[in-house]
Amino acid sequence: MSKPEYARMKFYCDEDLCIDCNGCVVACKEAHEVPVGVNRRKVVTINEGIVGKEISISMACMHCSDAPCQQVCPVDCFYIRVDGIVLHDKDKCIGCGYCLFACPFGAPQFPQDGAFGTKGKMDKCTMCAGGPEETNSPAEFDKYGQNRIAEGKVPMCASMCSTKALLVGDSTEVAAIKTYRSVAHGKGISTQSYGW
Amino acid sequence: MQSSTFYTRNKAYLLTLLGLGVVGFVFIGFMMIMDWEYFLKYPLHVILTGDTSGVLVEPTSNYQAMVNAAFGPSYNSIAPEIIRASNERQEFIWWVFVAEIAIFCFMYAKYGRKVAIVTNPNDEVEVFSLFHRAVIWLNIVVIVALIITGFNITWGMRSGGGDIAFFLRGSHEMLGLVWLPLWFAMTVIAFKDAKILFNNSITKKLILKGGYTPMKRVIFIVFVVMGAGLIFSGITIWYIHPDAFTHSEFIQLKRYLLYVHFGASVLIMFFLMDFVYSVMVAVKGNLKGLITGKYPREHLEQLAPDVLRDIEEKR
Repeated sequence: MSKPEYARMKFYCDEDLCIDCNGCVVACKEAHEVPVGVNRRKVVTINEGIVGKEISISMACMHCSDAPCQQVCPVDCFYIRVDGIVLHDKDKCIGCGYCLFACPFGAPQFPQDGAFGTKGKMDKCTMCAGGPEETNSPAEFDKYGQNRIAEGKVPMCASMCSTKALLVGDSTEVAAIKTYRSVAHGKGISTQSYGW
Repeated sequence: MQSSTFYTRNKAYLLTLLGLGVVGFVFIGFMMIMDWEYFLKYPLHVILTGDTSGVLVEPTSNYQAMVNAAFGPSYNSIAPEIIRASNERQEFIWWVFVAEIAIFCFMYAKYGRKVAIVTNPNDEVEVFSLFHRAVIWLNIVVIVALIITGFNITWGMRSGGGDIAFFLRGSHEMLGLVWLPLWFAMTVIAFKDAKILFNNSITKKLILKGGYTPMKRVIFIVFVVMGAGLIFSGITIWYIHPDAFTHSEFIQLKRYLLYVHFGASVLIMFFLMDFVYSVMVAVKGNLKGLITGKYPREHLEQLAPDVLRDIEEKR
């Protein structure tokens, strides 16, 4: 019997198309009611203001296949779904911040809501796939935000991207789109895929 | 008459350096995943330029510049070691302490416990003032609490996380802040060698009585240096709360400091256990002395003549 093939869900941001509008950041915060001081997604720009050299990418958790956050978490609160989405259990999280030290992308976020301003429980992009609570329950929304994946919808950030710089989906499909765009523009693939 | 060679005079220092050297060589050479050149250059770069981003070499491409701006540079220099160390602290660090306790058991079986013969228990001498006792006991309480709450993080797999473990983790950060003045006060009162340099009324009143044996001096130096490392790294990590944007400007500094925190905590624990054994287990009568502040004169004559000499001189 052949092994079932699951999708391997990935984000990809095309820096040639990202215009630093921060629409993805706002859409994410709005959809999941992310509190002030926590940004699950952020846009990073270099060479700002230099014509022709300014480039931006939208970044969040890259849902790594061998996620360092999962390897380093002392209470083992991370789990990786069969489709590759990296999620975590806030009921287990102790807010130690080890995942932040291990993450190559600065994805884990910490609200400053503990006693005397200490870190609260870690928050990060779920690729709009919720968490371990019952799917689409108020408890799940309260802790992790919307579960759009369970509804068959695209994550909010990518669905709102006005230039379609931010892609999400099965890595094979995303890679095919990236290759198609590069070939169609006649530029070739200019850079590596950040975080793949 | 006992021979006084360089080795016998400096045995404690030499054996400590040898032990740390062997353990350090094995860890650095064979067990750690660390770019040591980066590890040494990075703090120099921070001190000389004030730039904590960790970018030691200017990027040569847009891709490199983007990686530096977005994620911070040189991920492979420190981060993999943090992951390795975190995992191994869960699995193996327990055995370090088991080995140390086994050594203590061997020493206890071989050398036994020193007990003073006291015929006149009413003839007591005050060794620790109320201030001394307050500083020592507060240090003991806070250090024990820091160890419990710290291992709550390190051995999180045992608790499985949850609200209690979350509360203890937050307490670890706050207790670290509380320990800063206590560590400083302990460093001052336990600086017995200061009496060699400044033998005046203030040092006589403030600093603990007696002098150091070589091993106790080593423990004091480790307490001061590793305590400073723990407090500086801990408070800096706590103070630089991760903001909502990229952490690339200081993530490398935090990784560096967390590594320093790991290393300093293991070393200070090792030597503190040595201190607890040599003070509480190897010699009888110190617990009562630390509570009341007073010791029978005969106890001091037999086991701590240097302390008695200091007290007599003060009079």
